[in-house]
Amino acid sequence: MSVAEFVPATQTELARWMAENAAAARQKLLPVGGRTSLHFGFSAESDCQIDSRELTRVVDYPARDLTITVEAGMRIEELQRLLVAERQQLPVDIAQPVRATIGGAIACNASGPRRHGSGTLRDYLIGCSAIDAQGSLFKSGGRVVKNVAGYDLCKLLIGSRGTLAVITQVTLKVKPLPEAAGWWWLTFDTFAEMENVLERLLTSAARPMALEMLDVPAAKLVATESRLPLPTDCPVLAILVEGTSREVAWQLDVLRKETVPFGVQQIEQLLDQDARTLTAALTEFQVPTDEPLTFQANLRPSRCWEFAELANRLDVAVQCHAGNGVIIGQFPEAAASRDQALTLLQPLQQFASAHTGNLQILHCDPEWQDDLPMCGQPEPAWGIMQQLKRQLDPQGLLSPGRFIDRVPISA
Amino acid sequence: MSELLTRLTTIVGSDGVLASPDELLVYECDGYVVEKKQPDVVVFPTTTKQVVEIVRLCNELNVPFVPRGAGTSLAGGCLPVGGGVMISLTRMKRILEINLRDRYAVVEPGLVNAHLTQALKGTGYHYAPDPSSQGACTIGGNFATNSGGPHTLKYGVTVNHVLGVEVVMPDATVVQLGGPTEDVPGYDLTGLFVGSEGTLGICTKMIVRLTRDPAAYRTMLGVFETVDDATQAISAIIGAGIVPAALEMMDQGIVQALEEAFHFGFPLDAGAVLLIEVDGLEVAVDEEAQKIIALCTEAKAREVRQANTPKERQLLWKCRKQAFGAIGRLSPSYCTQDGVVPRTKLPGILRFIIDVAQRYQLKIVNVFHAGDGNIHPILLFDERDADQVQRVLEASDEILNRCIDLGGSVTGEHGIGVEKISFMNRLFSPADLAVMQSIRDCFNPDGRCSPGKMLPTAAGCGNEHIPRATPGKRAMA
Repeated sequence: MSVAEFVPATQTELARWMAENAAAARQKLLPVGGRTSLHFGFSAESDCQIDSRELTRVVDYPARDLTITVEAGMRIEELQRLLVAERQQLPVDIAQPVRATIGGAIACNASGPRRHGSGTLRDYLIGCSAIDAQGSLFKSGGRVVKNVAGYDLCKLLIGSRGTLAVITQVTLKVKPLPEAAGWWWLTFDTFAEMENVLERLLTSAARPMALEMLDVPAAKLVATESRLPLPTDCPVLAILVEGTSREVAWQLDVLRKETVPFGVQQIEQLLDQDARTLTAALTEFQVPTDEPLTFQANLRPSRCWEFAELANRLDVAVQCHAGNGVIIGQFPEAAASRDQALTLLQPLQQFASAHTGNLQILHCDPEWQDDLPMCGQPEPAWGIMQQLKRQLDPQGLLSPGRFIDRVPISA
Repeated sequence: MSELLTRLTTIVGSDGVLASPDELLVYECDGYVVEKKQPDVVVFPTTTKQVVEIVRLCNELNVPFVPRGAGTSLAGGCLPVGGGVMISLTRMKRILEINLRDRYAVVEPGLVNAHLTQALKGTGYHYAPDPSSQGACTIGGNFATNSGGPHTLKYGVTVNHVLGVEVVMPDATVVQLGGPTEDVPGYDLTGLFVGSEGTLGICTKMIVRLTRDPAAYRTMLGVFETVDDATQAISAIIGAGIVPAALEMMDQGIVQALEEAFHFGFPLDAGAVLLIEVDGLEVAVDEEAQKIIALCTEAKAREVRQANTPKERQLLWKCRKQAFGAIGRLSPSYCTQDGVVPRTKLPGILRFIIDVAQRYQLKIVNVFHAGDGNIHPILLFDERDADQVQRVLEASDEILNRCIDLGGSVTGEHGIGVEKISFMNRLFSPADLAVMQSIRDCFNPDGRCSPGKMLPTAAGCGNEHIPRATPGKRAMA
C-alpha cells in the first residue's frame, strides 16, 4: 500500500517536478491536502501523492480590503484563526477544519449548513494559481473582488477533485465576522408540517442563514456529536440566524412566532458557544465514522421533505440543507454488504431522478464502487467534461479514475 | 452569400433576417463604438432549434457567427469580427417559469434584465444583478459578460446567481449545464461559461436564482469637499467591516451634469458625493447607517443627507443609473474605462487619474462602484479633434496600466471584448493564456464562434484585428 510521496516546498518546485514527470516517468499523481477526503467519490489510481503540507504560507492579507491570499496547504482552522484576529471570516462550513486544507476544500467543493445564507466556495474564490498535468503553473482571476478578465478557471477547479490541476495558491474574498448567532431546534410530528413551515419562511421577516431538516436518525447523530441535550424523537428543523446581538434576538423572536403555531412540538434555543457547537456538529455530519455509505442528493428545495420522509422510513440518516435542496445521507451500519446498500439506495436514487435531481455517492467501501452509480444518473454534459479533461490532461496523469473520466456517458 | 441568406430565411422566415446595408448599420457596433464592422447578415431565431440550425449552417458554409443581446456591451463583445452571421437573441425573451418555492426562474436569453424583476414585483423576491443598463440589456448578455451593477457589492455578480444554462455549442450540439438543483455532479461548466463572452457557445436558456428582497433600506448621500476625502471614507467604511448594499462615488464633474439633468438638489461646489445604501432588517439598518455617518464625518464629510422617502431614494438611484446619459451635457464624446483596484488603493488611483487629466490636458469625470474598487473614469473629448483622441487613448492606457500595477484588473464588469485584448498579455502570463486558449480550443476548435474576442491569440477564420481608432461615446456600466 505504500505510495510514493512528493512534498514540494514551493509551487515553483512542484511545477518543475510535474513537468519532469510528464516528460519522463509519467507517474499517476494524486494531489492531497489534509487527507480528509481521500475516500470521497471514486478512489484514484496513483503512483505518487503530492502533499501540500509545506505550502502553508500567507502570501498577502490586506484585511481592510476583505481579501486574503494563502497557499493551498493551509489548514482551515489556521485560516479561520487568522481571519478571526481581524474580526473576519470565510463563511463556508468545512468539516474537520484541524486537518482539512483550503486547497482540498476547494477541490471537493466542501460546504455546510450556512450555504443557504452565505453561499459556497464559488462565491468566495476570486483568484488561484494551479499547476496542470504538464507542469505549467497558471493563474486565474486576481486579488480584487470584481474581475471579469479572461476565463474564470477558479470555477472549473472548484469541485474538480484534483483531476484538472493541482491548486497551489488561492485568493479569497472574506466577510466581517457577525457579532452573534443563534439556533432554533424545532421538532415536528410530520415532515409535511415542516414543509408547511418552510413555505411560510420563504417570506419570513427574518433572514435565516441555515435551514436544516433532519430525520430522526440524523437528529440523533447530530445530538450525540454535539453533546447538547436536544430532543430527537421526532424530525427536526433547525434554523440559524446571525448578526448583531440585537438582530439575532429580534430574528429568533420573529421566527418563534412564525413557526410555533404550525405544528412545532418541542423547541430549544441555542446561543453563543452552544450555537457554535451545533453549527460544528451539523458540519461534521457529512464525515462518515462507521457508516458504510455516505451520499449527497441534490433536489429542488420543495422536494426535501418527501425525500427525508422516505429516508426516515429506511432508517437512513439524512440532513437536508433545506434552503438549497442539498441533502447529505448516512446509511445505517446494518447495510453492511454491497447488495444491502444497493437495496437501500435504489428507492432514494429513483426519487431523486424522478424529481429532476440526482444522487451521488461520497463514500463507500472501495470494492463496491464499480457496481454502484457513484455519480448518479448520467448528466448530459458529462461528455464535454470528459473532452475537457482529455484536453487539459491528455496523458491522464492527474487523479485518473477519480471522477469524470470514470463516469458512464449516455448515448 | 446568397446561399447563406436563402437557407437562413428557410430556417427563421423572411421577417427573421436582415441583410440590407442600411439595416445592418445598427449592428456594426455595440456600446463600444470605437471599432465598427457590419455583419453580413443578422438573424433573429425564436427557438433553440433555430439557433442549432443556424450554427450548423454557419459551420457547413465556414462562416463566423456571433451572438448578440441588446448590444449594450461596452467592450466590443458583440462586434462581428470578420463579418459573418450575427445571431440576435432578442426575440427569445420569454419568462418560461417562475418558481418561488424553489427560488429560481427559467428565462430565455433575450429577456431584458429589468423585466424579470418587474415580473417578480410583490413576491418578496428579485433578480439581484442590476447593471445600470438593466432597462435595456438582456439577461443572456449579462451571462456572457458576467455583468455587475451597484448592488453587486453585497449580492454578487451574475455568476453568483446563475444555477444552470442551456447552451448551443459551437458544433451545434445542445447541452444543459447545471440545473434547477445545486451541485450537479461534474465540473462547474456553468461557472466557466459565465463571462466567456460568447466564445464557448450560445446561451439559449438560463436558470437563475431569485433573491429575497431586503426588509429595509437606508439610502444616504455623503457630501465631501474633495475626492480624496470621499475615497478615504470608502476605505474607512469597508475597513470597519461594513459591507453596504451599494457604495457609489460621483465627483464634481458628474454631479454638475446630473444636477442640470435631474434637479435633485446636489451640492454643486462639493468635490465628490458618495451614494451609500445599507439594507437588511429594520432593527439593524439605522445602527449601520449611524456607523457610516460617523465614519463619513470622521473623514471630513461636509454633511450626510438621508433619503427620507422611497421617492427620494428612487430619484437618487435614477440619477446614478442615468449618469452616463447626462454626460452629453459635458462633452460631445466620451470614453469610459472599467479598471479595478484593491479598495484601499482607491485614494491613490483617484489621485493618479487627476494627475493624468492634468498631464494630458483632458477633462475626466468619475462615477463608479467605489465599494468594489471598480472605477469608471470617463474621459471627455471631441472626436473631431485627432490630437485629443490620441491623448484620450494614451491617458486611458496609463490609467489601466496603473490599475494592474496596484494589483488590480483592467475590467471589473464590462469584459475584455475587443477593446482590452491588448492588456491580456500584461494581466496574464503566457502559461495562463495557454490554458485559456486550450479551453477555447476544446469547445470552439475552429474559432468560428465569436472570433477575435478576449484572448490575444483568438484570431480565427482569417479575420483581422480592427485597429483601435477613435474612442467614441460609450454607454455605461
